[in-house]
Amino acid sequence: MGRNGLLALLVWEVIGRLGLIHGALPAPSAIAIKVWADRADYPPHVWATLQASGAGFAIGNLVAILAGMAFVLFPRLMQLARGVNIALFALPPLVVAPILSLVLEGMAPRITLAALGVYFVTMSATVAGLMHYDRRAADLVAAYGGGRLAVLRLVQLRGAVPAILSGFRVAAPNAVLGAILAEFGGGGRWGLGAYLLGSLGRADPARLWGIGLCATAIAGASYAVFALISARLLGSSRAISLNPTLPPVATQDPAWLRLTLGLGSALLPFALWWGVLAILAAPEMIAKTPLAVATYLTSPDTAPQAWARLSEALAETLPIAGLGLILGLGLAFALAVSGRLMPGFTRAFLPVALVTQTMPLVALTPLLVLMLGRGPALTLWVTISVTFFPAYVLMAQGLAQVPQGAMYVAHAYGARGWREMRLISIPASLPWAFAAARLTVPRALLGVMIAEWLATGQGLGALLNQSRGYLDFGMIWSIATLTVLLSVALYHAVLMVERRVLRRLGMAAAE
Amino acid sequence: MKLTLNRRSFLSAAAALPLMPRMARAGTPFAFQASWINDAEFAGYFTAMDQGYYTAEGLDLTYLSGGPDVIPETAVIAGKADLTLTTPDTTILAISTQGAKLKIIGTQYQKNPVGIVSLAKNPIKTPADMVGKTIAVPPVNTISVEAMLAMNGIDKAQVNIVPYEYDPTPLIKGEIDGSLDFTTNVPYTIKLAGEDATSFLLYDFGYTLFNDTVVVTEETLAAKRKDIVAWLRASRRGWVDALADPAVWPPKFKDTHFAGTGREIDNEVFFNTAQKPLIEAEAGIFSMSEEAIAANIEALSKVGIKGSRDMFDTTLLEEI
Repeated sequence: MGRNGLLALLVWEVIGRLGLIHGALPAPSAIAIKVWADRADYPPHVWATLQASGAGFAIGNLVAILAGMAFVLFPRLMQLARGVNIALFALPPLVVAPILSLVLEGMAPRITLAALGVYFVTMSATVAGLMHYDRRAADLVAAYGGGRLAVLRLVQLRGAVPAILSGFRVAAPNAVLGAILAEFGGGGRWGLGAYLLGSLGRADPARLWGIGLCATAIAGASYAVFALISARLLGSSRAISLNPTLPPVATQDPAWLRLTLGLGSALLPFALWWGVLAILAAPEMIAKTPLAVATYLTSPDTAPQAWARLSEALAETLPIAGLGLILGLGLAFALAVSGRLMPGFTRAFLPVALVTQTMPLVALTPLLVLMLGRGPALTLWVTISVTFFPAYVLMAQGLAQVPQGAMYVAHAYGARGWREMRLISIPASLPWAFAAARLTVPRALLGVMIAEWLATGQGLGALLNQSRGYLDFGMIWSIATLTVLLSVALYHAVLMVERRVLRRLGMAAAE
Repeated sequence: MKLTLNRRSFLSAAAALPLMPRMARAGTPFAFQASWINDAEFAGYFTAMDQGYYTAEGLDLTYLSGGPDVIPETAVIAGKADLTLTTPDTTILAISTQGAKLKIIGTQYQKNPVGIVSLAKNPIKTPADMVGKTIAVPPVNTISVEAMLAMNGIDKAQVNIVPYEYDPTPLIKGEIDGSLDFTTNVPYTIKLAGEDATSFLLYDFGYTLFNDTVVVTEETLAAKRKDIVAWLRASRRGWVDALADPAVWPPKFKDTHFAGTGREIDNEVFFNTAQKPLIEAEAGIFSMSEEAIAANIEALSKVGIKGSRDMFDTTLLEEI
């Protein structure tokens, strides 16, 4: 990695020095000189970002782990909360940020946005980890008189630690980016996001890269810490033998109960939406309730014009989101597989990948425009860059958790490399691959909207921001609602395929 | 900031000396939501703060910086601030279409500093020059550009409008032909990059609007009229000082109001100098003449925004 990294740095330096790519990519040495010149500016901004993202990370993860445990203990609760969980994940930060900075004060919007970026990732990692335990160990605990909680504490929680840590790894950059986005928009004076906003007008790419790389360093450091802890712990807790038991077949609830839970899961997000607005006592004009959005989208005064604009925007946004999703997942899969087959390449590529995850897009997009123009290339680039990384982490996690015993069988029969992957590892890690696909769906939509907002000026992303200029709050909330509903619909589409495939293979879904 | 510190040190001093007779209380709390990050656009308020003009008027001012996600109108509607600075088109739209109970009680800019900025080597000097060009406009300002184009008989489909994210790099590199920005601000950066800037104000081509209009809710107006007048008086004094010699005040904020913004003091001096003629008014800073109000309403009516005289309240300015 050291040699490859040095080589990459050298290529970058040459590109920067020659002023290729329209000067949008300054040489690393130029960035370093700029950061050194600005060194007095950084400490208060970094400190503010650390505070906000740290607090959001802690709160979001605490809630996520508690929720994950509750969901595994009470599967019906998970069914009931599914709508809320997906909605929280699909909530576009672009829409939430201005609303948060309006109704909350001081650091609260930043912490909330950071926590929102963390919750879903860690919650699903916790649930996935808790569900995949060795059932013989659980039987053992039960045989000695241990109850449900004892199994959770002694078997499931211990087994789930690697999964939870991998959740933390993905969540950490999310927290930093969430905090920076809120700082960028929210009007505070300190934080890397605020510094970025003030610096945008200087037409100084070296400054923007400096701030971006600083954010990357923070996120990368937190990623590295959890990767390190996880590597230490995984060594002692990896399953060494095949778990021969099939997951217990869930007892089928009566139809009325399933219907009630399904209905409750669909209604709960709306109830929560309503409740939060009521608690915050936000003015009716700004904070639209579900009923107000429904009225906006159906009343003859507003509906025809609203739907005309929405359907035009959707037609621009959806196709490219689908394409970006497929490409992002494909890249993640290729990386995860090559990580096993060619570990050296992946280790060299990962730092670059992490940089794309943690560079605030608001800083980079004006520069990306210079490199890629304002067409589909840019939109796809942004979409892939926001989708592939979380998908990759989950897929790699799945591959790493394949029981060694199963692989020994393959090895004993002479199947190595790609053949082993195809026969054992890939099928065995399918639940993780599906979880990755589900996780990626809302992000693909978000990625496209970010590109539309910052560069192309089309589709839902642009409509959203123009609506803010017109103070068309009905439209703002409608777009948010629609984005979430679309994500949920696509999520369920993936889930249906997943259930069919996994049932045939006798596996349980990683929720 | 300084006011808060003063109050804090006063409070700790008061705590340390419990036997001291109670002194005059720190003034009435009053929150002011600015419309952007701390730059020379708000130099007058920083000057008034540092000169103690708000304290002298009995106000304990909380200054809230703005940013792209801060929609000033909503800050006062949500009760987060008592008073704010807005663009008149959005405020009047909010009043006329959403029933927002807002009043425009003054204006910082007599002439909106927003304009189309381009490079001198590829100049855009009039709206007609925009035809066939790519212009970057912040999405929230699309309304203003479309209005100005309509007034000059140009179909908006003839101009390629793309999003602008406050970074002039694409303009300097020629990726776009022009951008909508404060003409008082961005030409400095362009000059620094070795190019010359050309610009025209939307105002000079029919979009005769104020900018940074001083806005309060009707509720606050009824409850805190005296405080609002006090704010106007202190702020006007601050602006008179700040503009007397535009180069004097910005350097003084280097380590206070302008600390950590990532911008240069020279840029702020340029900004403050350029904005002076757009702020100063015969009848005093913040004043709104009947002709100017009529011109605002007239310009907005052409793009279907229904303003009326009763949305403006000039009586507070008379009490200064």
